[in-house]
Amino acid sequence: EGPPSCSNGCERCSEYNGCIKCKPKLFILLERNDIRQIGVCLASCPQGYFGMRTPDTNRCIQCKIENCEECFNRNFCTKCKEGLYSHRGRCYPSCPEGLSTTNGTMECVE
Amino acid sequence: LDTSTHTDSRRLRDLEGLTETMGAQVGDCPSRCHCEEDGMLQRVDCSDLGLTDIPANLSVFTSYLDLSMNNLTLLSSGALSNLHFLEELRLAGNDLTHIPKGAFYGLFNLKVLMLQNNQLRRVPGEALQNLRNLQSLRLDANHISSVPRGCFDGLQSLRHLWLDDNSLTEVPADALGALSSLQAMTLALNRITHIPDRAFTNLSSLVVLHLNNNRIRTLGTQCFDGLHSLETLDLNYNNLEEFPIAIRALSTLKELGFHSNNIKSIPEQAFTGHSTLLTMTITGARITSLPTTVCDQLPNLQVLDLSYNMIQALPSFRGCEKIQKIDLHHNEIEELQADTFQGLTSLRSLDLAWNKLSSLNPLSFSSLPALIKLDLTSNRLSYLPVSGLHGLTHLKLAGNEDLQELLPAESLPKLRVMELPYAFQCCAFVSCEKHSSPWDRDNNHNGKDDFGRREGILNSDSFSDLLLDFDDEPKSHHTVQCSPSPGPFRPCHHL
Repeated sequence: EGPPSCSNGCERCSEYNGCIKCKPKLFILLERNDIRQIGVCLASCPQGYFGMRTPDTNRCIQCKIENCEECFNRNFCTKCKEGLYSHRGRCYPSCPEGLSTTNGTMECVE
Repeated sequence: LDTSTHTDSRRLRDLEGLTETMGAQVGDCPSRCHCEEDGMLQRVDCSDLGLTDIPANLSVFTSYLDLSMNNLTLLSSGALSNLHFLEELRLAGNDLTHIPKGAFYGLFNLKVLMLQNNQLRRVPGEALQNLRNLQSLRLDANHISSVPRGCFDGLQSLRHLWLDDNSLTEVPADALGALSSLQAMTLALNRITHIPDRAFTNLSSLVVLHLNNNRIRTLGTQCFDGLHSLETLDLNYNNLEEFPIAIRALSTLKELGFHSNNIKSIPEQAFTGHSTLLTMTITGARITSLPTTVCDQLPNLQVLDLSYNMIQALPSFRGCEKIQKIDLHHNEIEELQADTFQGLTSLRSLDLAWNKLSSLNPLSFSSLPALIKLDLTSNRLSYLPVSGLHGLTHLKLAGNEDLQELLPAESLPKLRVMELPYAFQCCAFVSCEKHSSPWDRDNNHNGKDDFGRREGILNSDSFSDLLLDFDDEPKSHHTVQCSPSPGPFRPCHHL
């Protein structure tokens, strides 16, 4: 299997690890391919990841929240898995006590 | 946040009616784009195709449209007006400098709008009007320096707002006033220098606020008033010189970070009213001391990171019964009292590396039943009090040249990973005699030492984030890793 090619957002492509430096403002996602890590440049991170911007680099980082599909940062969920209810960035099988959903959404409110 | 079953059935009835009346084909897929069916709707991916205009023949049943990473420089008014079912529109990574009024007209169901990584200089308020169902708006990585008053009016469902990596020099307080449902916002990586009083006064639902990597030097004493739901506040990498007493308004705060600032001291009653605080990170400042009543004010604290400061003396942490991790490495601490860590029944990790500890009270670690990781690397110790350390699994003492005594292995029965000042000290844990020469090792030797622990040569286990990978129950037969490992040139006998 020849060296992987790099997507067009790449600024520095390596022979066996895909992109190692993306163009400004793009996020780098490290995908695992067997024992190798392959760098890919994206305008927005895929599901299950959030984009962290720093002065030096922009990286896709895995969400750490249970039952979450998309997150704002490590511990705030913006989209829960199908059928789950959300409240303040967390996902629940049913609304926490004292809370209920409104006008047919899956969000629990006071 | 997501469409629930009730709304879906109503939308499907609308769809069936629309299909019959318009006879439109669900299956229209613009050339070179990739389309997938989503029930009656369609997901269309036209990203990275070098497009300079929006494809003409988009199906009216498009629910997801990705136009990222193309060369769009302009959106004409009404270009998407027939996409009434569109829920997510991605326009990231184009060259949009301006978005005219009416560009998003007709997108009644739009929930997610991605405009990051374009060339916008101001928030396109006219185009955003009336997007009543919009929940996530990404404007990060543009060149926005102006957020006009009223530009967010009408976005009553907005929950998540990204304005990081732009050119803001102040908090857009007027514009933010319309966003009472907002729950998460980042203004990181801008050029904000001051936060005025009542800057976020209407954001009563805000849970997460990132202000890191700005140039914030001063805060109004009431600048966080109104943030009744805030749980995470990130002020890292700014120029704060005073401790932000404005955080007193944040009664639900759980995570507070302001490392890499220039704060020199923490006032005595700094954390009054913060009983909910769980994590506090004040590293890289110039703090020399802590309030003596820090634990009275923070009874629920779980993680305290004060590394890379100039702390010389520690108060007693009595009262912090829930604290699990204390990082104090890279400070100037010279001694520990008997009561410094008294009664911390939940403490699992204590990092005191790179300090100036020369003497420890014999009872310093005597009442820490949950302690499993202790790092005293590079201090000035000549003696280690082992009372209370029977549960320890990881111990680091390298860099204490004066500590030349043998450690009592029987007082440290669960140790698995050690870094000690001298190789001979490892012999008590790694049975050096059987290792006098790797060639004549006894073949029927089952590789266990006197304590039933499997021997091994250290490739030092990295002290990764403790809260993520604790081994709750030490394995029955675990590898003992000790460095510097004894061998032919580092005999077990202290020369």
